[in-house]
Amino acid sequence: MLNEIQLQAILAGTIVTLQIAIVAIIFGAIFGVIIALGRISKNKVANSLSWFYIWFFRGTPLLLQLFIIYYAIPIIYLDSTGMTFTIDPMLCAYVAFSLNAAAYLAEIIRAAIESIDGGQMEAAKALGMSYRQAMTKIIIPQTFKRLVAPMGNELILLLKDTSLVSTIALFDLLRTVKTMASATGSWVYYIYAAAIYLFLTTIIQVVFDKTEKKLGVYER
Amino acid sequence: MSMVKLVDVRKSFGDNEVLKGINLEIESGEVVCIIGASGSGKSTMLRCLNHLERITDGEVYIQGELTDKREKNKDLMKIDPVKVQALCAELGMVFQNFNLFPHLTVIQNITVAPTIVKKVDKAVIEKTALDLLEMVGLSDKKDEYPSRLSGGQQQRVAIARALAMEPMIMMFDEPTSALDPELVGEVLATMRKLAEEGMTMIIVTHEIGFAREVADRVIFMDEGVICEQGTPEEVLLNPKEERTKIFLNKIL
Repeated sequence: MLNEIQLQAILAGTIVTLQIAIVAIIFGAIFGVIIALGRISKNKVANSLSWFYIWFFRGTPLLLQLFIIYYAIPIIYLDSTGMTFTIDPMLCAYVAFSLNAAAYLAEIIRAAIESIDGGQMEAAKALGMSYRQAMTKIIIPQTFKRLVAPMGNELILLLKDTSLVSTIALFDLLRTVKTMASATGSWVYYIYAAAIYLFLTTIIQVVFDKTEKKLGVYER
Repeated sequence: MSMVKLVDVRKSFGDNEVLKGINLEIESGEVVCIIGASGSGKSTMLRCLNHLERITDGEVYIQGELTDKREKNKDLMKIDPVKVQALCAELGMVFQNFNLFPHLTVIQNITVAPTIVKKVDKAVIEKTALDLLEMVGLSDKKDEYPSRLSGGQQQRVAIARALAMEPMIMMFDEPTSALDPELVGEVLATMRKLAEEGMTMIIVTHEIGFAREVADRVIFMDEGVICEQGTPEEVLLNPKEERTKIFLNKIL
């Protein structure tokens, strides 16, 4: 069985994993809305900037993005200013995971907005609403229900992808149990980790299912 | 002064010219019915009035104020969009497919635009909304979501929603075309009531009987032009133009 110290280490690893996934889904969703609005905007600059953003962050591995932020930025800083600075690995993880999630969520949000019937925007305009008013009061609220399932998907993916942070000196859940397994030669620690991952994803699944039903009250 | 005016309006979608030089003036209190085959440009003309479609050539006036002037799709006036938006809001619109906001209840559908566009006080607009619901005969449905209403009920809510913005003109784009036959009557009855109250109305419709009964003027459109117009007796009973006769023979 686990001793007190091991238990605390596993708990700490779980918290790291959870923190990164939750921060990434929240900031990813906020940036994602902005990028999605850029993608559907008629403004050429906004449109190509958001296209480029999605192209880059979806097209390169998350691990690479993590390396760029954690390893490359301090070196670039050193080369250009001659000064060194230490970078907090947790902050790097927050930034990399949020930026990456934003790219995926932007496409999900864009598709959800475009799936709303065009008559809704017309009706809003005919009632004198501006584009912004129509988006915030009429169109975007209708996407919430359609966004719940893919958002739950993304959160579960993020939760498992956090194991990548073991490469930048962080102890997430998986790295914590791996260290215990190699120190003791016992594989049973992996079972504990699997149980915790499953426990967390079960909660996400149940909560998101309930939310989806709740948001769908207005449908027949 | 006319309520709305179109001067030499043309509208193309790509190579397809849908409106080929429309001149139209609607006076205050007038009820105008627009008839014609599908593809004749009836709906497009209506949608050009409140800028759901932008014209390619010509001029659009609302209450004597120029809202759009274009030549070969080039904007000649660059009129302040806020002002245009306010003028277009004077034209209430009822759509063929209702376009109620599904995530809002009946009463919220009616109050949302006055609240955020005109910043009307919540208590005031709720009172107005209840009065409007009573007028369209749906007081008991105020807290239902649109998906729980029949088509005819949804369309009556849509009429109340447009009226809540206190428009100068009500425009109807085939308001009964998506309805089951037994539900058409209740919507027409509501529209008749509005006409009797003196509302200025522009109605694109296939309900010839209704047009004959309520219209002050009937306009027959064909292939992007106004082919014939006049009183219901003139256009519907004694049409002069051959194309009008052919159309009426087909649908009556």
